[in-house]
Amino acid sequence: MQTLILVIIGLVGAPLLGGLIAGLDRRVTAWLQSRQGPPIMQPFYDVAKLFGKEKMVVNQWQILCAWVYLVAAAVAVALFFAQGDLLLIFFVQAIGGVFLVMGALSAKSPYSQVGAQRELLQMLAYEPVLILVFVGFYMVTGSFSIQAVWAQEIPLLAKMPLLYLALCYALTIKLMKSPFDFATSHHGHQELVKGVLTEYSGPYLGLIEVAHWYETILVLGLCALFWHTNVAWMALLIVVTYLLEILVDNTMARMTWRWMLKRVWLIGMGLGVVNLIWLYAR
Amino acid sequence: MFGSFIKKSRAKSPWIMHFDCGSCNGCDIEVLACLTPLYDVERFGIVHVGNPKHADVLLVTGTVNHRNKKVLKNLYDQMPEPKAVIAIGSCGNSGGIFREAYNVVGGVDKVIPVDVYVPGCPAKPEAIIDGVVAGLAKFAQKVEEAK
Amino acid sequence: MSNLLVLLILLPAAAAVVCYFVRSEAVRKAAVLATGGILTLAALGLLAQGTVAPTEVGSFLGIGSDFLVAVLDFALLGVIYFYGYRHKSLLIQGFTLAQVVLLIWFELVMVEHESVPALAGDQLSLIMVLVVSVVGSLICVFAIPYMKKHEAHLHLKKTRQPRFFFYMVLFLGAMNGLVLSNNILWMYFFFEVTTFCSFMLIGHDATEIATRNAVRALWMNALGGLAFVIGMMLVYSQAGTLNIAALLALGPTGAVMLTGLAFLCLAGFTKAAQIPFQSWLLGAMVAPTPVSALLHSSTMVKAGVFVVLRFAPIFAGTFLSTGVAVCGAFTFLACSALGVGQSNGKKILAYSTVANLGLIICCAGINTPLALTAALLLILFHAISKSLLFLCVGTIEQAIGSRDIEDMRGLYGTNPRTALITIVGILTMMLPPFGVLLGKWMAIEASADSNIFIVVMLALGSALMVVYLARWAGSMMGSREPDAKAESQPLLTRLPLMTLSLGSVVLSLASPWIYNSLLAPWVGSEPFAVGFGSLESAHGTFVVVPLFLVLGLGLMYAVKAASGYRRVKIMPPYMSGANSVSASDAYVGPMNGDVPFSSGNLYLGELFAESKLTPVFNALAVALIVLMMGGAL
Repeated sequence: MQTLILVIIGLVGAPLLGGLIAGLDRRVTAWLQSRQGPPIMQPFYDVAKLFGKEKMVVNQWQILCAWVYLVAAAVAVALFFAQGDLLLIFFVQAIGGVFLVMGALSAKSPYSQVGAQRELLQMLAYEPVLILVFVGFYMVTGSFSIQAVWAQEIPLLAKMPLLYLALCYALTIKLMKSPFDFATSHHGHQELVKGVLTEYSGPYLGLIEVAHWYETILVLGLCALFWHTNVAWMALLIVVTYLLEILVDNTMARMTWRWMLKRVWLIGMGLGVVNLIWLYAR
Repeated sequence: MFGSFIKKSRAKSPWIMHFDCGSCNGCDIEVLACLTPLYDVERFGIVHVGNPKHADVLLVTGTVNHRNKKVLKNLYDQMPEPKAVIAIGSCGNSGGIFREAYNVVGGVDKVIPVDVYVPGCPAKPEAIIDGVVAGLAKFAQKVEEAK
Repeated sequence: MSNLLVLLILLPAAAAVVCYFVRSEAVRKAAVLATGGILTLAALGLLAQGTVAPTEVGSFLGIGSDFLVAVLDFALLGVIYFYGYRHKSLLIQGFTLAQVVLLIWFELVMVEHESVPALAGDQLSLIMVLVVSVVGSLICVFAIPYMKKHEAHLHLKKTRQPRFFFYMVLFLGAMNGLVLSNNILWMYFFFEVTTFCSFMLIGHDATEIATRNAVRALWMNALGGLAFVIGMMLVYSQAGTLNIAALLALGPTGAVMLTGLAFLCLAGFTKAAQIPFQSWLLGAMVAPTPVSALLHSSTMVKAGVFVVLRFAPIFAGTFLSTGVAVCGAFTFLACSALGVGQSNGKKILAYSTVANLGLIICCAGINTPLALTAALLLILFHAISKSLLFLCVGTIEQAIGSRDIEDMRGLYGTNPRTALITIVGILTMMLPPFGVLLGKWMAIEASADSNIFIVVMLALGSALMVVYLARWAGSMMGSREPDAKAESQPLLTRLPLMTLSLGSVVLSLASPWIYNSLLAPWVGSEPFAVGFGSLESAHGTFVVVPLFLVLGLGLMYAVKAASGYRRVKIMPPYMSGANSVSASDAYVGPMNGDVPFSSGNLYLGELFAESKLTPVFNALAVALIVLMMGGAL
């Protein structure tokens, strides 16, 4: 029963919180650029407006894929709040990613095609890192289940600091932040006029936006697990991490996929492996 | 309730696409100036997008010629309803000093319906922002009338 | 009881003879269909009856069956030697001669011919029989219309189908024999029969390249046969019995025994086309598609995996076990990486097959109950999904004349049914809640116990695999004109495709119960508790049925939303406003002419070029195998 309530809280709360975070993100970004920025509620206005627009697609696959993306993201968050299996959450989340890419590939549009290919490369970069992070959880807690985390007495951050850094790589990619925002970004006027999202429009773009909020909460939730012992520290950890992400976003240029694969695989996975070896040795 | 929130949101989140039909770049630079910290149009929820499928408002600068009128029409058609068009600068409004040239069709309204005309050569950023706000009011009215 | 086992082996052999000698198409069709039906029923019947204790087979016409097998063995080696001689392959001749010499020594000098119960069926065997008999039969059924079209395309004067179906059906019998045998000599015999059948099937089209690839397959598998003989002799010299059930009970007893097992694993590696032996399986795709489907999904390669899995309990906890796991994980990673650089649909499938077999072997090497469960699940679900995909590629190839995934772009527009089934097949290969992913999930969770290198290799490999499967499925989606004409499929093409795609989905849903009734008893200690239709263990929980329900409902809603798309405004894609009026995939260019755009997948040639990577991977793999064998000593 308690699980059910948690799941419902997660399903309802995650998009609200995710949208709020996106609004704060835009405010902080504007502040870093000496601007005033939009109201904090702006992401909600955007999405509401998108839902009110005319439905327009290239073919039916976009409708299907946008919905599946949303469902998968929501189910992943629900599993997270039900304290399910980390690896399973990851795989469910991957359904969404795969469908987003497939929907983009279904249109004969040069921009969405290239965006889809780049999105796949981004998935290629962050998936192994996430798996290593989850293996790290297993090595510390003895289970892939989130429930086991609560039995730990000291914060996980103390045992897997390098894995946390590796997770930040994945976070940057998932949040579509520079330098890893070459498949799509929050700024539409890039060379791909919004890459993988080019052909999604109106309500379907709105669905994807909501799904993205779910995903943001999922990844931040993972970060939160690193300091489960104290709510204040947990909040601080997330705030600092997110501010760092915004700073990186604003100070870095958009890079190429080659650069990304090399960085994330060598440094991200390298950090992960070193941390895992340390956990084994212990 | 959700319906009224959507209606309210329309005016709060105009996503703009800018199309340069054949401008001397004077107006284009002024349009881009709106995005700078000095004018910061994101205050009003205005986002500059690169794709008609995501856009609510089409800003057009420059004269329309026989070559690019098809492109203009096509971009307009690819914007989902509800949408508004704002012609910027003398050239966009009427063809400006080029209106008699052999290759020029004239102002933007020769090809697609225009909601707001922003005068100037080039138009000032304040005028452009004002034009967008006026455009949003018209566009709210249009949505209301369509019902 | 043993009658059923004998039926599973001998019926295909008899049907094969009918196919070969009765040169009538109707009879051949009836024979294949009847064999498929009876095999399926027999396999299900066997499943219903449960495990079979080792049983004697008795004698045929007064000749002891063991003796008969020995005679047939030498005859078969003779035939293989003959083909080696005919194709002037010294490797084949050498490996075969070595096998003959060693086998004579083994049979005449070493073995004391006690009577060993020849056949047995534990859960592992039952699952394999099910895969072979059901999936294999469906492939044979699919082959009936396929081969007709194939030969019409080649303009053959005289049909070669009798020969084709002879080997196809015989193959099923040999596989059933292999998985059911309890006498290691019998196992060796069937192992050789599959080698020979695959050689004949790969070379079926008798083109130059087909022959060359068939010869390569033969020498590599002859090497495997040699490794099998050596392994068998070493194991016998230590354990003193040919009885596999007795061997399993014995456990590892010493270095000689382990070395023997290492050789048996090597034999399994060659048959399962593990790196560095992958080239024969890649070459095998020159054969008609049903052959590829049969070799890749249910039979040949699964034989290799089976051999490793069969003996896995004996070497649990030894260095050899870790070696096997590392080799398997390396193959998984390497072949996933090689697959990223490919655009040939069959080659992608081939690499993905080898990668998945690597994963299964890795699980066998990890050798914990969880890992073994993962291995069995992967065998079952991979066979279904992969055979489905091969049959789809065959159907597509006959429809559009290409097996390149770039040519399959927008296939939904012309062949919606085939495209949809292929997309379903691809999704069942890589996404939850389907069985293959369930297996992969277990494999990764099990690997967390073993070795960090294995974990890293599995993590990288599974990400790479998603890349090349996802983009293939995505590019097949496309727009379909409202008045496009419907796609027609012959009944015998549609039946296997529909059965397999339904099977891959429904069996995934049933995986908790499959686990309970089939897998748990074989694995011994129970790694999972089944509750609420989900698999729970100390490692984690896979909520199979709830996930199916939730995602299924979501998908149904999405499909419903998408099916209303005719009411939605259909707009051509964004092309900077310069869309051509006449074509949907062209820009307006100079002089108002059309400039078509083309897009291709990113094959990351600079990182994943096959020609660059293969030698490196082969060298590394040889090093790992040497390490594994050396570690056993």
